[in-house]
Amino acid sequence: MRLSARGLVCDYGPTRALDRVDLDAFGGSILAVFGPNGAGKTTLLRALSGERRPDAGDVTLNGAAVSGSDPAWRARVALVSHRTGLYRKLTVGENLAFFGALHGLATDPHAGFRALEEVEARDLADIPVEKLSRGQRQRAALARSLLHDPDVLFLDEPFTGLDPGGASTLEAMLQARREADTVVVLVTHDLERGLKLADRALVLRRGRRVLDTESSGREAEDLLPFFTAGGNRVE
Amino acid sequence: MMSLRWARLIAWKDLQVEFRSGGRLLAMIAFVVLACFLFALALDRSLVPARNVAASLAWLTILFAATTGAGRTFDTEEEDGAFRHLLLTPVSRHAIFLGKSAANLVLVWIVTILAFVALTSFLGVRDAGSIARHGAVLLPGTIGLAAVGTFFGLMSRHSSLGDTLLPVLTFPLLVPVIFFGATASGRVLTERPWAEISGSVRLLWAFAIGFVAVGSVLFRYLAEE
Repeated sequence: MRLSARGLVCDYGPTRALDRVDLDAFGGSILAVFGPNGAGKTTLLRALSGERRPDAGDVTLNGAAVSGSDPAWRARVALVSHRTGLYRKLTVGENLAFFGALHGLATDPHAGFRALEEVEARDLADIPVEKLSRGQRQRAALARSLLHDPDVLFLDEPFTGLDPGGASTLEAMLQARREADTVVVLVTHDLERGLKLADRALVLRRGRRVLDTESSGREAEDLLPFFTAGGNRVE
Repeated sequence: MMSLRWARLIAWKDLQVEFRSGGRLLAMIAFVVLACFLFALALDRSLVPARNVAASLAWLTILFAATTGAGRTFDTEEEDGAFRHLLLTPVSRHAIFLGKSAANLVLVWIVTILAFVALTSFLGVRDAGSIARHGAVLLPGTIGLAAVGTFFGLMSRHSSLGDTLLPVLTFPLLVPVIFFGATASGRVLTERPWAEISGSVRLLWAFAIGFVAVGSVLFRYLAEE
């Protein structure tokens, strides 16, 4: 499986958030996207997932154009962000049942429990989200993202608020997704963790791709020059 | 059929969240009771027979209460970014609109019943007319209110003016609904024959169907960036 973007441009009024960005992300591998604040990382994720229509450029999966307006594409993607996207007044189980039903899993009452087991949070099912800690909420959000066994998983700062145990569960989950041939695109500020997890690293600065490289053997210090100025390399 | 199933799921979820938090419904109920009480105090019933004005006052109260509620339709969606995830499911945008409108409609019905009960009791109106006929008038009227409120509720969320914008956007569109609704309800209250009421009810249905149809089509342009 191959998720590709070619010449992605996204503008917010006069501000160019993404400037002709190309990338390839493959099934069974993790692409980490780094960059300073305002580099366009989240906009890139939104354009790839179809939440935002790019002003120019294409996103394709295995060569076929994909778009956020296509329900079949939305059925194949999932998102985990630093905002959990859960309803606070509902229990974790009710949240999972709701989103599962929207994904056509209403006839599978155990889908939510399976997803919770995958993130080691089965005991959270009956607790209202508002009563959970930040880390527990993030685990529940992870479970929601796994409900429909997505082909493409987008993660936007998913480690925010996770305790070491939660972070380790997330890392294990990402490894499992890699083995399941899922395309994983991870946006993070955590260079060390991102490089450790990812197979490929992409650095954005001011909406432009300034580095696209294999991540193995890279250290955080190698990427830092690309955050400020000077660096501009695609390998 | 799938859209209706999705809409039912979304409406049920919205109502579960609403009845557990209660904030929006409580604000609407408090507004209705206070408004009806103040109308009853302000009206000199020796000059104006209460039965002649009760319908208009009730519709105005329902309009303001529905607008109050509509402004918070998307609060729970925005709280932790759930709306972003809702939009990333395969659910059609018009199903989201229909579901959220249906949930709004239930809340509007609650305050509508309350407004009629409160006004008729505060104003001392006896024999308020056939409940079935009131229902026949209020059903299309409240569908229109809920649909318009849901659509512009999201639009006002996207605006820096927020809830301030909502009445400015909705009231001009709802003038015909309030006019025909108040006229028809007034005739039900004064126990006029159905032939004098049915024309207004048909127009209310036309507006309700129009608002729901146009809202369903345009909602995706509001919801998606």
